[in-house]
Amino acid sequence: MKLFHRLILRPLRRDRTRTILTLLSIALGVAVVIAIELSGDAATGSFESSLTTLVGKVDYEITANGGVDETYIAKLAALPVNARFSPVIEQPVVVAGGITRGASTTLYGIDLISTPAENAGDFDPEQLESTAVLSSDLAGRLGLGKGATIQLKGRDQTAAFTIRAIAANQNTEWIGVDIAAAQRLLDMYGKLDRIEVFLSPHENAPAVENRIRATVPATWDVQTPGARSEENRRMLRAFRWNLRILSYISLLVGAFLIYNTIAVSVVRRRTEIGILRALGTSSRGVLAVFLGEATMLGLIGSALGIVLGRLLAAALIGMISDTVNALFTTSAPGTIALSPVSILGALLTGTAVAFFSALIPAREAARVAPAEAMRRAIVEHETRLHARRDLGIAGIAAAIAAILCRFGPIGGRPVAGYIATLFAVAATALVAPAFVVGVVHALRGTLKRFAGVEGFIAARSLVASLSRTSIVVTALATAISMMISVGVMVGSFRETVEVWLASELRADIFMRAEGAATAGIYPPIAAAVPQIVEQTPGVGEVDLFHAFEIRYQGTRTTLGAGNMDIARRRRSLRFLSGSADNILTSLPGRDRAIVTEPFADKHHVHTGDVLKIPLGPRTVALTVAGIYYDYSSDRGLVLVDRSTLLKYLPNQAVTNIAVYTRPGADAAKVRRELEARLAAYPLMIAPNAVLRRGAVEVFDRTFAVTYALEAVAIVVAMLGAANSLLALVLDRRREIGLIRYLGAAAGQVRRMILVEAGLLGFLAGSLGLVLGMALSLVLIYVVNKQSFGWTIQFHPPVELLGGALLLVWIVTILAGVYPARFAAKLEPAEAVHEE
Amino acid sequence: MDKRWPALFKIQTSIPQSITRQELRLAKRDWLNLPAIAIREVTKIYPSGVEALRGVSLDCRASEVTALLGRSGCGKTTLLNLCGAMDFPTAGEVLIDGQATAKLDDSGLTRLRRTKIGFVFQFFQLLPSLTALENVELPLLLAGAGKTEATAMERLRWVGLEDKATALPFQLSGGQMQRVAIARALVHDPAVLIADEPTGNLDNASGEIILKLIRRAADELGAAVMIATHSAEAAAIADVRVRMGDGRIESVS
Repeated sequence: MKLFHRLILRPLRRDRTRTILTLLSIALGVAVVIAIELSGDAATGSFESSLTTLVGKVDYEITANGGVDETYIAKLAALPVNARFSPVIEQPVVVAGGITRGASTTLYGIDLISTPAENAGDFDPEQLESTAVLSSDLAGRLGLGKGATIQLKGRDQTAAFTIRAIAANQNTEWIGVDIAAAQRLLDMYGKLDRIEVFLSPHENAPAVENRIRATVPATWDVQTPGARSEENRRMLRAFRWNLRILSYISLLVGAFLIYNTIAVSVVRRRTEIGILRALGTSSRGVLAVFLGEATMLGLIGSALGIVLGRLLAAALIGMISDTVNALFTTSAPGTIALSPVSILGALLTGTAVAFFSALIPAREAARVAPAEAMRRAIVEHETRLHARRDLGIAGIAAAIAAILCRFGPIGGRPVAGYIATLFAVAATALVAPAFVVGVVHALRGTLKRFAGVEGFIAARSLVASLSRTSIVVTALATAISMMISVGVMVGSFRETVEVWLASELRADIFMRAEGAATAGIYPPIAAAVPQIVEQTPGVGEVDLFHAFEIRYQGTRTTLGAGNMDIARRRRSLRFLSGSADNILTSLPGRDRAIVTEPFADKHHVHTGDVLKIPLGPRTVALTVAGIYYDYSSDRGLVLVDRSTLLKYLPNQAVTNIAVYTRPGADAAKVRRELEARLAAYPLMIAPNAVLRRGAVEVFDRTFAVTYALEAVAIVVAMLGAANSLLALVLDRRREIGLIRYLGAAAGQVRRMILVEAGLLGFLAGSLGLVLGMALSLVLIYVVNKQSFGWTIQFHPPVELLGGALLLVWIVTILAGVYPARFAAKLEPAEAVHEE
Repeated sequence: MDKRWPALFKIQTSIPQSITRQELRLAKRDWLNLPAIAIREVTKIYPSGVEALRGVSLDCRASEVTALLGRSGCGKTTLLNLCGAMDFPTAGEVLIDGQATAKLDDSGLTRLRRTKIGFVFQFFQLLPSLTALENVELPLLLAGAGKTEATAMERLRWVGLEDKATALPFQLSGGQMQRVAIARALVHDPAVLIADEPTGNLDNASGEIILKLIRRAADELGAAVMIATHSAEAAAIADVRVRMGDGRIESVS
C-alpha cells in the first residue's frame, strides 16, 4: 500500500492536470453509456397506458384492426364472469382557444361513471358530457386548475370541457373525458380503440380470457397490457441496440486513453521500477501496483461518469422520445430511474475497461529488468521493426471484418456487423505504427520546408515514441471514424430520403388532421372534407389516403390505402423488382397489396406471397404484388388500393389527402381557397415544399441524438489528445530541456509541440477517414439494413465531412496549446539534470 | 568594458575574409585582454535558500582549458549553468564573450547559447530519435543556419565518426555517443565549451579519447573550455585548475 502511495498516488497528484484529463475521459465515456441506457429506458419504458393510474390495473385489452365495434361491450358485459369491461378511446387531440391554443395532447375517452372515485373523484352524472380530468403534468404545462374550462378541437367541431379533477403524480400529459363525449368530438360513433377488462379478485383469468375470445370475432386480439409493452420494447430493440453500440464507442476511445495513461506512467517511472525490482519487489507486485492505478482511475472516473450520465440522460430523453414518436409509436417519456443495478453496472464497466486497457502496459512494467539503459529507445525501435508484421495481422483482421459483413442477422440483430466493426478498429490499431512511420517519412521534407526545424523535430519525436503515438492516433482515429461513419450513414440516408420524398411527394397540396402523429399514422379527417376539396376550383385530382395501425403476426404495422391509379400516373414508386406500372395496375379492385422493404424484411415476405390480415370481423388474404422502397417507418407498410380497403372496412376514415391542382392553376391560390373553405375543420394544409422540408426536419431531429453522441466521443478524444500531448511533453522533458540548451527559443519549443499536435491530428484524421468510410459501409449495408430493413444509397456528404475533419484538426491543435505552453516553460537546467 | 566595443567593432568589421574564428578569438584575448568567460563577484542563492556560490570571480580565456575541481555540491554545476547562460547570478555578473547575461532576456540568452556556447554532459544527452548526424546538425537548424548537413558532417568527421552518421544513439557505444555530443557542442564553432563531467560515465580508454578531443577544441578551434570534473586525467589536460569548496574558489593553479 505504501508502494502504491509513493509510486502511483504521489505522481498522480503531481501531474494533476493529466490526472483530471484522464478521469474526465473515463467519466465522459461512462456517462454516455449510462445516459443512453437511462434515457432509453425512460423513453421506452412508459408504454403502460397512463390510464392505469386513473382506472386501475387492467387485466386484458381487446383490440381489432380498424377499431372495435362498441356493441361488443354489451355482449361482453352479459357474460357470466366477475369482470368489468371498459370502453376506451385513445387519440391525439388539439387544445383550442386562449393562450393554450395549439397544444397537442392525448385524449382518453373512458367510462367516467365506472371510474373508481378514489382515483379521479366523484362526477356529477348530469355534467358528464362536459367533464374533463387532466393529468397533473398537462395541467401544469397549460397552467390550468380545477374548475377551469378547456376547449378541444375534434374532427369537425370544437367542444368546451370543465376540468373537474386533476390526476396527481402524473409524468405524462393526457386529458380524460367521458366516452360518449370523446366519440362525438372525434366523430367515432359506435367505435372504440379498445376495450379494457378488469377482473374481480380471485377470478379465474384463463377461463375469462377463453370466454372473451369465444364472444368477440376471431380476428380480434385479446392480450395483457404487459404484452403490448413487451411488443413495443421488441419493436424498439434494434433502435436501442444501435444507440447502445454507439455509446460504447466513447468507452472504447476511453480505453485507448487509459492504456496511454498507464503506458506513460510506466515509462516515466521506469527508473523507479528498476530500483524497486533491484530492492526485491516481485514483478507481480509491480503489476499489481499499476493495475491498481488503472482500477482506481476507473472507479473514480466511473463514479463521476454516473453523476454526469444522470445529467446527460435528462438532456437526451427528449431527443430519444422524439425519435421513438417519429419512427415507432406514441410514447411519453417516463422518469429517469437510476437504480442500484445500473450504478453497479456502470462502476463495473468503467473499472473493467480501465483494468483491461492497463493490462498490457502494466505487464510491460512488471517485465522491467532491475538494470537497463536506453531500453525505451530499443522498445520503440522494435515497434518500428514489428510494424510490417503488424500490417500483415491488420490485413487478416480486415479480411475477417469483411467476411463477418456477409453474415445475416442473429435474433434480428446485426451481431456479426458489430463484431466486424470491432475487427475493423483492431485492424486500424495494428496499421497505425506503419501508417505513422510511412506518413511522417513521406512528409519529412515538406515539414522541414514549411515548419522548419520545429517540424523536423516534431516529426522525429512522434516516430521516436511510436508505440505511444500509435495509441493516441488510434484513439483519435476511432473517435473520428465514428464521426465520419455516422456522418456518411446519416448523410446517405438523408440524401436517399430526399430523393425518395421527391419521387413520393408529388402532389401540390397535402392535408391532414391536426394532432400528434406517429410512424406515418395521422388522426382521421372529418368525413365531409373530401367532397369540399374536390369541389374547390383549381383542384384537379384528389388522392384520398387511409392509414391505420394493424396487427400482423403479433407485431404492429401500418395498413395504408390510396388510389393506385393516381399513384401509378403521378408518383414514381421504386420497386425492388418488377415494373411499377404493371404492379400498380394490378392492384385496384383486387385483393392485392404492395409492401415496403422493411415490412418484407421483417416478415420474410416475397412477391407472390399471400398475407392474411384481419380486417374488422374478417381475415383478408392479400397477394403481394411487389416490394417497394420506403423510408417513412421501420414498422413497415402494407399498401392496398382504396377500393380494396373500403370493401372490407367501408367506414374507415381518411387520414391524408393529396391534392393535384389543375394544369395552369396557381397552387398557392388553390391552397388559400381550400383553407378558407375548410376553416371549420382542424386541418393542416401544407404546400409540397413545406411538407418535404418538414419531413427532412423530422429526419434531422431523429438523428440529433446520434450527433450528440458523436460530439461526446469527439470531446473524449480531444481530452485524450490534450492528455496524450501533455504526456509526451512530460515524458520528453529531458529532451525539451536539452533542445533549449542547444539553442532553441521558448517559442520554438512551443511551435514544436503545436506541430506535433497538428501532425497527430492529421495522422488521426486521415486514418479515421479511411476507417470511417469502411465503417460507414458496414453501417449502411449491414447494421442498418439488418436492423431496420432500409436500403440506403451511398452518398457521402463531402463538404460536411471536410468541414468536420478540419474542425477536429483545428481542435487537436488547440488541444496542444496547454502542453506547448507547459513545455516552453520547462526549466531546461532542471529537466536535463533530472536523471 | 563599454570602451572596448568600438575597438572590437573595428576589428570585426575590418577582418579580412580569410581570418578564422580562432584567430579572431586569439586577437580578442591578446590585443583586448578580453576573456571568453568573465565571472565577476558572482553569488548564487537558490529560492530554497541554498547559497551555491559566494563571491566567485574567474576568467576563462580563448584556447584555454579551465578545470573546475571539488567535491559534489561545491558549486561546480551552478557555475557551469551560469557560464552556459542557463541561469542568472543573484549578485555579480557573468560575461560571455563580452556580453553580460543578466542584461539579456530569454530570447537574448537563447541567441547567446546558439552562437557562443556548446554543452557536453556526463550522460551524453543525445536525442534518441535522431541519428548521429541529425543530432550534430540540430543546433544549426535551431539557429536557422545554412548548409547544416555539410557542416555537421564536417564536425562528425572531426571527431572521427563520419561512418556512424546514420546510426541512432542506442546503436552507439558510450564513448561514441560522447564523441557525437562533442561534435554537436562544437558544430556552430562556439566561443565557449562547457563540459560537465564529460568522462564521468565512460571507461578509461573512451575517457582518454574524449579528453583529447576537448583539448583539440581549445587548441584547434580556439574555444574557451570550462570543464567540471572529479578525474585527475581530466584535470591534467587543463591549463588552469580551479579548486572549489563550499561555493568559493579555494585555489587556482
